[in-house]
Amino acid sequence: MTDTVELTDVSKHYGPLVAVNRLSFTVSPGETIALLGPSGCGKTTTLRLIAGFETPDTGTLRLAGEDVARKRPYERSIGLLFQHYALFPHMSVADNIAYGLRHRGFPRQDIPRLVAEMLALVKLSDKAAQRPGQMSGGQQQRVALARALATQPKVVLLDEPLSALDAKLRQELRVELKQVLASVRATTIVVTHDQEEAMSLAERIIVMNHGAIAQQGTPDEIYSRPNSRFVAEFMGRSNWFAGRISGQSGAGGLTFATASGITLRIPAPAQPHPAEVDVCIRPERIDLAWGTEAAEAAAVAPNINQVAGRVAGAALLGADRQFLVELVGGDRIVASLPNRLRSVPAEGEPVSVCFAAEDCIVVPSGV
Amino acid sequence: MNVTRPNRRRIDDIIGWSTAAVVVLGLVFLLLPLLVTSVMAFDERSFLGPMPPPGFSLHWFVRFFSQTYFLVGLRTSLLVAIVACSISLAAGAAAALFLDRTQFWGRGVVLATFLSPLVVPPVVIGFSLLLFLAQIGVTWGLGRLVVGHVIITLPYAIRTALASLAGIDRRLEEAALNLGATEARVLWTVTLPLIRTGLISGAIFAFAVSLDDVAVSSFLTDPTTYTLPVALVSSMRATFDLTIAAASVLLIGVTVVLMFILDKAVGFDRLIGRGMFGR
Repeated sequence: MTDTVELTDVSKHYGPLVAVNRLSFTVSPGETIALLGPSGCGKTTTLRLIAGFETPDTGTLRLAGEDVARKRPYERSIGLLFQHYALFPHMSVADNIAYGLRHRGFPRQDIPRLVAEMLALVKLSDKAAQRPGQMSGGQQQRVALARALATQPKVVLLDEPLSALDAKLRQELRVELKQVLASVRATTIVVTHDQEEAMSLAERIIVMNHGAIAQQGTPDEIYSRPNSRFVAEFMGRSNWFAGRISGQSGAGGLTFATASGITLRIPAPAQPHPAEVDVCIRPERIDLAWGTEAAEAAAVAPNINQVAGRVAGAALLGADRQFLVELVGGDRIVASLPNRLRSVPAEGEPVSVCFAAEDCIVVPSGV
Repeated sequence: MNVTRPNRRRIDDIIGWSTAAVVVLGLVFLLLPLLVTSVMAFDERSFLGPMPPPGFSLHWFVRFFSQTYFLVGLRTSLLVAIVACSISLAAGAAAALFLDRTQFWGRGVVLATFLSPLVVPPVVIGFSLLLFLAQIGVTWGLGRLVVGHVIITLPYAIRTALASLAGIDRRLEEAALNLGATEARVLWTVTLPLIRTGLISGAIFAFAVSLDDVAVSSFLTDPTTYTLPVALVSSMRATFDLTIAAASVLLIGVTVVLMFILDKAVGFDRLIGRGMFGR
């Protein structure tokens, strides 16, 4: 089966600026992928290339096997949900949704029925006659989605679909968006700078940096096994140790000596690696032991790293509690504990920082 | 710091009061002459006497409407204004679309040329046009007037069209393209409806400019084809009476009605602030 979207060696320059640099990836039918990266990484240009608003300088761009690199936007079967929705302010909601149906040549007598179906899909059947300007942000987003999906495009592009909404609404609509996309079984590309949005919506994530792919994989792979410091930092909060690999530990692991004088057990990287590496541990993979627990923790399994420290600060974030811990070597790390514990260490109290060797992320230094 | 505060406040007060004074003075100088004209137009005396009139009557208006000389001028004025404004509107919208969508070397020069009638003295425009049209053999009065009025109204049409184009979100047009509309249909279904109010306000402005013009028109009239303002000026040379005041009141009335429509349709601030001088 041919891939629905296929980019091969696609490049796009704006003057001296390389927006997209020899980018290649494919999306299979029905798959949802995310293009994730900071602003300026080329993800938006990639979206505009696929939609046809820009023409690639080099490379091929195929939709369902057909080369469309030189085709006009209206010659491609693509649904696009704009970041700020781009609803036509001078048309009713129903006319907005019908716009694509009219211009893509759907039979005139079918259009009212198809519009009603789309309105029902996004649960806005009672709003057909309203103007977009009278609606809330969340409702506008659903109208824009209905408009993009109405013509049953081969590919649906979502440009920062939830970023214009406030945090609370975002979580609700994320679930809804996923259900709607699943019900129409569209091949979907989500473009976003929000790693939560990418992880929750997509089956596969392509992390982009400087117009090229930094890493691609499932959300789990990207989050737990990033291949570079850039990806690890982009995907979530992280604590870093700089240093060098100092030797073997039991069970195939390595030992790592930090610049600050701590020795950690780390897993052996899959790829060959230099002696200089950066080691990262996510805040939620860290446990704290204090008081009498600290003594008990000292006796635990050999694959647990244990470092003494002192609580330098604490903050309650609702579901989690964050602790800033100063380690013996002077490093400061952030640990995040679920807000479920009855007692927590006080500020200034000595604690023991514990994390499993296998939870350590090892990436080449400085990349 | 506290010591200097009263002083600084006094300066602020002075600046505030003087700006208010300038505004009041401006209003007085703008409105007072119009007010005098409007009162005198209803003077019952049959001669030009000092203010205030001893009584009021409509006889100057009756005189105005009984003179075919003025009525012919009024008809020509309206005809020229309607034709010239329609042409300016269409040409201005097309030119604005082109200038808004394309970047080319010399774009600024082209735009400045289109807008030059705003700064070139109307006398120069009128005289040059008369000379040029005579050279190429155009002697048809109505045609000459329409050409002249298109030239002086085009900047207003282009300006307002450009301003409204700058105000629309380009993503709306991209959305329409993405939904299967060709460029021509995007123009028709999205772009033009969105700039419609701007086009209307430009047209009304152009209409007012065309209706009031004397300088350019006076070069382009012939003995049988002349506009109302030109007729008023030449009759004033012959006999200075208050028929002109009555005609002025009529013109003021038309302008006020147009401005009222504009304000209702688009809002005055948008029209003056952004449409005319801003971009």
